[in-house]
Formats: sequence, C-alpha cells, structure tokens
Amino acid sequence: MGRVLKKEDYNKFLQHLKDEGELIAPVTTKMVRFETVKNIRDIDLNSGNPFFPIKKYFLPNKEALLKIRSGETKSVDKVEKKKLIFGARLCDINGIAILDELFLNHEYADEAYKKRRDSIIIIGINCHTPPSKYCFCESMDLKKEGYDLLLHKREHNYFIDVLTDNGAKLVRHLPEAEVDIPLPKTKKHLDRKDLKPFFADNFWEKDSEQCVSCQRCTILCPTCFCFDLQDEINPRTKNGDRVRTIDSCHSKDFTQVAGGHVFRDTRLKRYRHRVLHKTQFFQDKFKRSMCTGCGRCIEYCHSKIDFVKTINEDFQ
Amino acid sequence: MSLYKLKKYLIKDVIKQTNDNTMIRIQTNLNPIPGQFVQVSIPGIGEAPISSASYNKKELDLNFRVVGSVTEALNKFKKGDKVYLRGPYGNGYPMEKFKGQNLILVGGGCGVAPLRGIIEYIDKHREDYKHVELFFGFRTPSDVLFKNEVLEWSKRYNLNLSVDKAPEENLFHCPVGFVTQILERVNISNENSSVLMCGPPIMIDKSIEIIKQKGFTDEQIWVSLERHMKCCTGKCGHCMINGKYVCSDGPVFRYDEVKSIDE
Repeated sequence: MGRVLKKEDYNKFLQHLKDEGELIAPVTTKMVRFETVKNIRDIDLNSGNPFFPIKKYFLPNKEALLKIRSGETKSVDKVEKKKLIFGARLCDINGIAILDELFLNHEYADEAYKKRRDSIIIIGINCHTPPSKYCFCESMDLKKEGYDLLLHKREHNYFIDVLTDNGAKLVRHLPEAEVDIPLPKTKKHLDRKDLKPFFADNFWEKDSEQCVSCQRCTILCPTCFCFDLQDEINPRTKNGDRVRTIDSCHSKDFTQVAGGHVFRDTRLKRYRHRVLHKTQFFQDKFKRSMCTGCGRCIEYCHSKIDFVKTINEDFQ
Repeated sequence: MSLYKLKKYLIKDVIKQTNDNTMIRIQTNLNPIPGQFVQVSIPGIGEAPISSASYNKKELDLNFRVVGSVTEALNKFKKGDKVYLRGPYGNGYPMEKFKGQNLILVGGGCGVAPLRGIIEYIDKHREDYKHVELFFGFRTPSDVLFKNEVLEWSKRYNLNLSVDKAPEENLFHCPVGFVTQILERVNISNENSSVLMCGPPIMIDKSIEIIKQKGFTDEQIWVSLERHMKCCTGKCGHCMINGKYVCSDGPVFRYDEVKSIDE
C-alpha cells in the first residue's frame, strides 16, 4: 500500500523532510548537483539529472578506514549523521542497490559502507520524461528497489511508493492508496547482447582511440566503485590514516604490480575492460547489469564516445 | 569493526634466503591452505599480498622478494618484532581433490615458495598421494630458495632442480637450463595426475605447452596467477581479469577456467 500527497502539500512535505535531518537534493548553482539544502525553495528538479550521482554519499571520494598512530593502527569510530536524499532518480537509486550487492550482501560485508548506508534515507522521484537525450535506462531492467520512498508526480497529486519502515514513518500522516508507478521510458536504447564474441573486435579500437583516459566516465558513473587503499602519513609525526580513495580502471597504474609491470598496458584494454565490466562481467556474476543507463558517461565524455551506439551498430 | 582491521603477530625467525629473498616465520594459527595468501600490512607504508610458503598449525612462513616499498620495509624486520596481517584470502590448491593422484609441481623463482606449502601438506598427508615429482627452476645456484631443504626434498620426492645459468660454482650439481627444458626431457605420465604450477608467466605458458604435448588436459593443470590485490575481498577491482577476481575467485585456478581470458 502506498500513500498520496496532494500537490498543495508538496512544499510542506519537503519542509517535513528537512526537519528530519540533513536534507540533500538537486540544487542549481553553476550546474545542477546534489547539495545540502539550506532552503527548500532551492530544490531544482527541472534542470536535468544532477552532474554527480548520489554515489558520493555512499562511497565518498576519500575516507579513513583505519587510524595510524606511531606505527600502530586504531579503528575509526565515525558517527554517521542522518541524511535524507531527495530527488534521486531510479538510475542513481539502482546504482546504490548495485553497490549494496557488493558491499553489503557479499561474503565480506563492508562495515564503513553499511554504517553510512544505514544512516541515509532515499526519497526518489520517478522520471516522466527522461532528463537527458542520453538516458537509456529503459533497456537496463531497472527495479523499484533501493529507495525508502519513491514519488511519482501526477496531475493533481503525487503517488508515493513506500518500501521501508524508515520511509513509512515519513509519510504515515498521508492518506493510503493503491499506487502503481510505471518505470521510465527512454528514446535511447542499448541492444543487450552477449559481448564475449566481440572481445577481439576492431570496433574497440575505434572508440578507445578517442579516449583520453580523463576518467570522467568512472567518476560520474553511479556504480563505478573501484577503489584504492593508501596510507596517508604526516612525514614529521608519522601519524595519519589508511584511506580508501575512489580509483579508476582507466588509469594506467591501476593494474601495476610491484616491480613496475602493468597488466592492462594499453588504452584499448582499459577502455574495453570498463565497458565489459559494466555490461557483461557484473551481469555474469550477480545476474544484473552494472550499468543503469543514466547516460552520464556518454553525455559528459570528453570525446563524445558513445559505447551504446557502438554496441548497437557495430557489434553485429 | 573494519573489514580491513589487522591483527598483530610475532616474528619467530627471519631466514635470509638469497640476495633479494627473505623468509619470515610468524607465530600464528591462521594456517592457510597452500596457494592462499595473506595481506602483510605495515602501517604508514601499505600492504602487500604474500602467499603462504608453509602448511603448519602454529607457524606461517612467508617468503618474499624485495621488490616494492612494503617488502623493502618488511625486509628490515627482525626476530621478535611484530607484524600486522589480515587474511588468509583466496582459493588455494584443492589438495583434497588430488587425493589418490600423482602430483607434478612446477615452480620458478619466487613461485617455488607456495609450492613449498604443498610439499609440507603432502608430508603431513603422505598416504593420500602417490608419486610426487618436483620441477623447480632458479636463475643461478645462489638464487635457489630453501637451500637447506632441497636435499631433504630430493630424498623424499623426485626432485628436478635446475638453474638458468651457473656463473659461479654449481653447489647443487644440477642441470643448467630452463626448468621447462628439463620438463620437456623427463618422461611423465598424464594418467591419474595433476600438475600444480606457480612462477613467472613465461614459465607457466611454456610449461603448459609442454605438459599438454605430454597428453595432459586443461582440467589436470592448476595455475596460480599474480595480480595487484588491494582489498583482497573481491571488491576494489584491481586484480580483476575479464570479470574474475584473482583475489577471491583465485589466485589458484584450474587452467580451463582462465586459459581464454584476456585483459
């Protein structure tokens, strides 16, 4: 059973969310991005999908996993503040469900991730029309999961799908209703196919020759989770942290071993690895695609490389 | 508690092996199965994955070549110092599966260290295995690892030791040539046998070619792969080859699982 929110109560609802904890939502400065909301009037759902996905709140660019003090290690007892993320779309939310697969449901659960995950409430919004011409989520089997609440705008009201107890608490004052929320439709589509037969295809070269390894695609991807572990030490005190930093498989030293050998030594190998991880490898292992079709890696690519077009048109 | 939380262990002994190889003996009951590895952690420097070179409930031997910042720092550790570890991780050689079989071990350089763990395992379960044939190659006689044990091994098992070249006195009176050349010359049967390998990629590739010419199938060959392992828990992505995480799906693979995977 879902809930219904009247259009005239929308701002009241946003204020209610803001009163619950730190509210994060799309805010337009120079470009639209997820930011902490100072005033609910700043929330902007009409300027497209925010530049950065909500991933940054779940897997920050850098976080300390251990403290290092005089050559010894200590645990980091960080208290995660309650956050409410409003205005994320299903591509980003499915991205979090995919991160959950790896960081929560896996043999080795990641405590730092879990702590943060448990402190965040996601109130998603459903797309009527795709926010960008590069969106192709309709092809990616998105699921209605990963959020606490999902709002679907209708002519006079909003349907709210309620998935969790945390979500239910936020809307218990609203009238109940049967809600049926349709998944978004997109103009762009990815022709899902087994890419194994195309591993040695020349078309990888066509795309990778344009790539400048700027890593924008991995930074903007809602699911790119590859990370590095490094010790950051003050050279004078010898104290510091063991940190996890977001890494990119596009960087040359990503597969470098001690002694200097680099396994994925060409840009073609690195480019192909990323696309196959998104579309094939993760799918083989977890039975779901790692790509959610948000289109950011195409829209913001320095060289306008469109892997969807290549897969659709060239890999025949 | 963090996934990357470390535990401290006492170093019981430091045994210098060669110019650039050292083995440390650590007091621990971690007892990895041969082929598994632990992450050695030196706070302030970093972490390095090192394979177990022993099979022992009370002690763990780690042999390493000084090649990066962590091994350089580890090389300065002394008996009585303590070292942080996490693990063990990964899939080792499935020794249970080989029960009742002949075993052929092929190793080169540092790659002989994990195979030493297999030898210790066989020593403790000798009745479970039939004929054991060892092919170990090193660069020169002074690069031979576990010098004191080599003679012992040759008494118990059929040891084929070789050195690529012998610029100084050949203390071991062993053939001079690549281990693969020795492998080529020796008559070994593929019947009820498995081949367990660890060593540099070029040695592995060539050995597989030779072994297959002798009638072995891909399913009889087990190889250990080397990659840059950071998290060791199938997440960070550094060791992934074609969708397989070397840290958690390997590092030991049956050859048919990895023969067609490319970067």
